Amino acid sequence: MPLVEHLSPRAIAGRAPDVFRHGGWVPMREYGDDEEVDFTIVGTGAGGGTLAAKLAEAGFSVVALDAGPFWRPLEDFASDERHQDKLYWLDERISEGNDPIELGGNNSGRSVGGSTVHYQMVALRFRPEWFRSRTTLGYGHDWPVDWRRMWECYAEVEDALKISGPLTYPWGPKRGRYPYREHELNASAEVLARGCEELGVDWSACPTATVSARRGLSPHCVYRGFCKIGCATNAKQSTLNTFIPRALAAGAEIRDLSMVTRVETGADGRATGVVYQRDGQVRRQRARHVVVAGYSIETPRLLLNSASPKHPDGLANSSGLVGRALMVHTNHAVWGRFQEEIRWYKGPPSLAVCEHWNYADDEKDFFGGYAYMSQGPLPTDFAKTLAESEGIFGTELRRRMADYNHMAGLKIVGETMPQERNRVELADETDRYGVPLARVTYSMCENDRQLADHSLEFMRNALSAAGGQELFQSGGTAHLMGGCRMGFSREDSVVDGDGRSWDVGNLWICDGSLFPTGGGVNPSMTIMALAVHIADRIKTLAGQDAL
Amino acid sequence: MCLLTDSAMKNAPDCRRFTCAPSSIGSPAPSDRGTETGLTTGRVLGALGLAAAGFLVLRAAERNRLQPQKQADRSRRADAAIQMGRASSLLAGSVFADSAMEHLRGGYHRRAMYVAPAMAGATLAASTSSRARLSRRNADLRDGIYLAGIATGLTGLGFHLWNISKRPGGATRMNNFFYAAPIGAPGALVASGLYGLAAGRLVRAPQMTSRQEGRLVGSMTALNILATSAEAGLLHFRSAFQNPVMFLPVIAPPAAAVALAAAVARPGRQMIKIARAACGTTVATGLAGAAFHVWGVHRMHGGWHNWRQNLLAGPPIAAPPSFAGLGLAGLGALDLLEMEAQP
Repeated sequence: MPLVEHLSPRAIAGRAPDVFRHGGWVPMREYGDDEEVDFTIVGTGAGGGTLAAKLAEAGFSVVALDAGPFWRPLEDFASDERHQDKLYWLDERISEGNDPIELGGNNSGRSVGGSTVHYQMVALRFRPEWFRSRTTLGYGHDWPVDWRRMWECYAEVEDALKISGPLTYPWGPKRGRYPYREHELNASAEVLARGCEELGVDWSACPTATVSARRGLSPHCVYRGFCKIGCATNAKQSTLNTFIPRALAAGAEIRDLSMVTRVETGADGRATGVVYQRDGQVRRQRARHVVVAGYSIETPRLLLNSASPKHPDGLANSSGLVGRALMVHTNHAVWGRFQEEIRWYKGPPSLAVCEHWNYADDEKDFFGGYAYMSQGPLPTDFAKTLAESEGIFGTELRRRMADYNHMAGLKIVGETMPQERNRVELADETDRYGVPLARVTYSMCENDRQLADHSLEFMRNALSAAGGQELFQSGGTAHLMGGCRMGFSREDSVVDGDGRSWDVGNLWICDGSLFPTGGGVNPSMTIMALAVHIADRIKTLAGQDAL
Repeated sequence: MCLLTDSAMKNAPDCRRFTCAPSSIGSPAPSDRGTETGLTTGRVLGALGLAAAGFLVLRAAERNRLQPQKQADRSRRADAAIQMGRASSLLAGSVFADSAMEHLRGGYHRRAMYVAPAMAGATLAASTSSRARLSRRNADLRDGIYLAGIATGLTGLGFHLWNISKRPGGATRMNNFFYAAPIGAPGALVASGLYGLAAGRLVRAPQMTSRQEGRLVGSMTALNILATSAEAGLLHFRSAFQNPVMFLPVIAPPAAAVALAAAVARPGRQMIKIARAACGTTVATGLAGAAFHVWGVHRMHGGWHNWRQNLLAGPPIAAPPSFAGLGLAGLGALDLLEMEAQP
């Protein structure tokens, strides 16, 4: 297989890859560049892919473009960590600040299906209070969407992905039953469970986006454990094998290997379409509405690069907030050696979760919360963690890696505060498309550190209580949120509660950059739920002739 | 950059899960496996059990062929005895194959895990030989084997409960009922032994009226069907009833149990006829279930090409025939009830 840079588009000539069959194709409707489609969507991940399916099913004409390739998991994914780097967005970016973010594997994706192709499948809902965290919890910003509405959307997404989850979930308001049953706990998850039982806090089998029984053309998960580098059996329910096939069936066109470089606007300031590069050609797609769904770095970058006389500071940026209040999740972890064999690589990496510190407001003295999950890093990943956090290499690293099958670990998804100094800007250097590189500035605040320290102490106790020895810890970040937050007014946000730009009436944003606050859980379910919400709102507005 | 899409790695058997091992998706710790000698003894015992079972099955089949005409002359009670024998055989065969497979999936982590297939094999051998001959010769030996099978089944129930209770959350977590040792499975060995004993009683001089015998076996069978159906229901629920046909074993057999119970309570001709149809449906459900599970293995990743993994991780092919065994036992009970129903 050629390198990613040398791949040619597959979704052409009226057909797109059939993700469920070796060498298979499904028919695809195509639109001409000059044909003004109802919606052109930039990005096909958790936000864009979901929205494409929902809008196409509602009868809109949709062209969705993605910078990444259109994979067939059965034939394109190797059981090799380095080879699968092809799933990440590894283009050059400038990362700075007091705590510069490592950009790559755990905060980006460059494929049709976006980062859901390699996500860890942790399918958690936000805590209801987080949608009004300013009002009820005293930090961050309120969301312009009610939590009950979001919970309806979560339910729809969970059904679309046939999430395998527990019959009862210990935290938060009662939720409906997950469509599929929870998976068997692996030994790594049992370590988390034992630790929680010893410390007297709740734990749960983790709701997971891989099927615990046959679902259509997706076979029962075989517990290979390569989930994080792309599932080669299609048991994982990503946007690529759920919403994208739905979008195609409903008449959407998916254009792979299409890098959008500008959103074009007319003399009236409204968006007229997008400029993109595909197969070495610069092309334009005309559209009545443009949706940007490129995630927290590429979305601000595209908007800032689409400045025009009407929008001198970048598109949708009258508030000056485009690119600001970028958030990460802290990803601190504690690791330990166990007497018994664990073999943590077996099965999905995070089969058990503890959300205690997302809900226990009275027992902590910092804002925000965190969840922690059991872990199952593949060997290269774990060797990297060992080398970086323990500062070891050579023989010593080899000796410690010999314990790989006896290791277990707990890792948080920790909420960080939305700080406007953390931002995405355009650098002076340009990439191969001629677009200025993203300059990403990130610094933790005191509260972020307090939360991380608290989590490390708690997880140390939990891991010891479960029988872990020779404990050590590591830092790091995962996920991105914010950068184009949604809000209640044009001064305080980039888009409204429907994801629609305050400045440009036919420009929408639908991805993780909308998040006003980050929450202490993995963001994919919330991004998809927002996409469902935005699609429903668009349908409603179209019905009222208010588009 | 590696350009290898390594299907061999994907399908490697180390991906299989180990139900009975302490670390569920992980291989058992070799340290508490016992000595190598003990392991060998267990294997030898298992192999001997297998060989004995095979030998006796063949011998029984041989004898059956020699005496077809005699069956037609047998009395109703003897017919019922044959049904009981068949029920016992089918149940024992189901337990034999299923426990051998599932305990293999558990890596035969404890030597005691060999006992289940070995005793199921012995019960199978006893029931197939008794079916053929129905003589009182060796009757005591067969009864002894059935009783040992019953004891093994009861002990197995205890072991499985213990396996559930020692996992995090114990009996308070559904995960453990879904994935730890299946709570009700060893009960099928108990049922098999009971039907074997019943078959033995029926070829001897009656100690109670046929109606009493029919009622005893009929109510036992109704309960067994309900228990087996509950287990199928639990495991099919675990698989989210992803195929609508998975509702079959939680609908048809319980209906048969109700019909059978009704026939036991009021053994009228009409009720017996209905119960007979329902029990026949249960037999068909069991056989169809095995076929569906063969299909289910095909639907796992890699299908039958990856049989080494999918026979263990996929739907258990040997499990559904226990419904067929219970259906036959129900028919036998109805034979007995019908004797009294006649004027």
